[in-house]
Amino acid sequence: MKYKINLIKQGEDELILNYQKETPEVNLIFAFMEKRQQKLPCKTDDGIVMRSPDQILYAEKVDEKTFAYTTDQVLQLDLSLMNLELFLDDIKFFRCSKSMIVNIEMVERLKSLPSNRIDTIMYGGEHIIISRTYASEFRKRLRGEA
Amino acid sequence: MNKNDKNPSRWERYLVIEIGIEFKACLYFYALLFFYCIYKLCCGVFVADILHMTEMIFFAYLMGYLQVYLLWNFDEADQFKIKEIFGMLVCTAIYTGLSYWGNWFNRNLWVTAGFAAYLVFLYICIFFIYKIRRKIDEKILNSDLDLFKTRTKEKK
Repeated sequence: MKYKINLIKQGEDELILNYQKETPEVNLIFAFMEKRQQKLPCKTDDGIVMRSPDQILYAEKVDEKTFAYTTDQVLQLDLSLMNLELFLDDIKFFRCSKSMIVNIEMVERLKSLPSNRIDTIMYGGEHIIISRTYASEFRKRLRGEA
Repeated sequence: MNKNDKNPSRWERYLVIEIGIEFKACLYFYALLFFYCIYKLCCGVFVADILHMTEMIFFAYLMGYLQVYLLWNFDEADQFKIKEIFGMLVCTAIYTGLSYWGNWFNRNLWVTAGFAAYLVFLYICIFFIYKIRRKIDEKILNSDLDLFKTRTKEKK
């Protein structure tokens, strides 16, 4: 198979696969693309946009609506928080309260609070408090035990 | 793991608070007893009154509940501000009053005043002990966070 890589100055990064028939090599690339292409349809003022879960800092349920927060945008999702949790299905997304899911990779720093609570300081500067109910599970997740 | 395994029940949540109060009661009973024993030794007495010790345990428990449920758990607070100082003074006053009522120090006003000062010092020390513990915990948490990020990057 021939590989062609172009470095672009602007526009969205994309991966195009031209193939004639499915081969193990092509299937391998399919698997990679499917995993990487897992994108969420999000409502914004400009309409529906697709966002990679990696961009999400945290997701929150407010008045039965689910919102995802990136460093610069608030996006409304058409999924319930529980379905979002199932969709994300990744070790880096942690259900930190009944109404919140946090992306651990987007946590800049952690602060230990009284009563075994944890203050998560996100890259965007937001503070999310993990109650003691969820804190022990969070600690296990960080240590790779859960 | 089902949902019920992940989320602690109301009973488990209550138990966590209760264990915290038990721990607090032990800590303060130990501190009260230390002052009491020093006082007794200074008076040349080598036995402690079992009734006084029972009172100390009982009141340490009650004060634990008061501290946790009504006084914002002030000794474990993140910062020592007006609210926490108020809590500390209330507890000091109650313990001092109880020591006088219970005749722990033969109603000696100087010793009772010294006991009050000792309690203030004790609360400040405990506040800093918890603070240091949280600082160490914070270091461990952030180190675990860095390791987590490294692990997930390696997986990618």
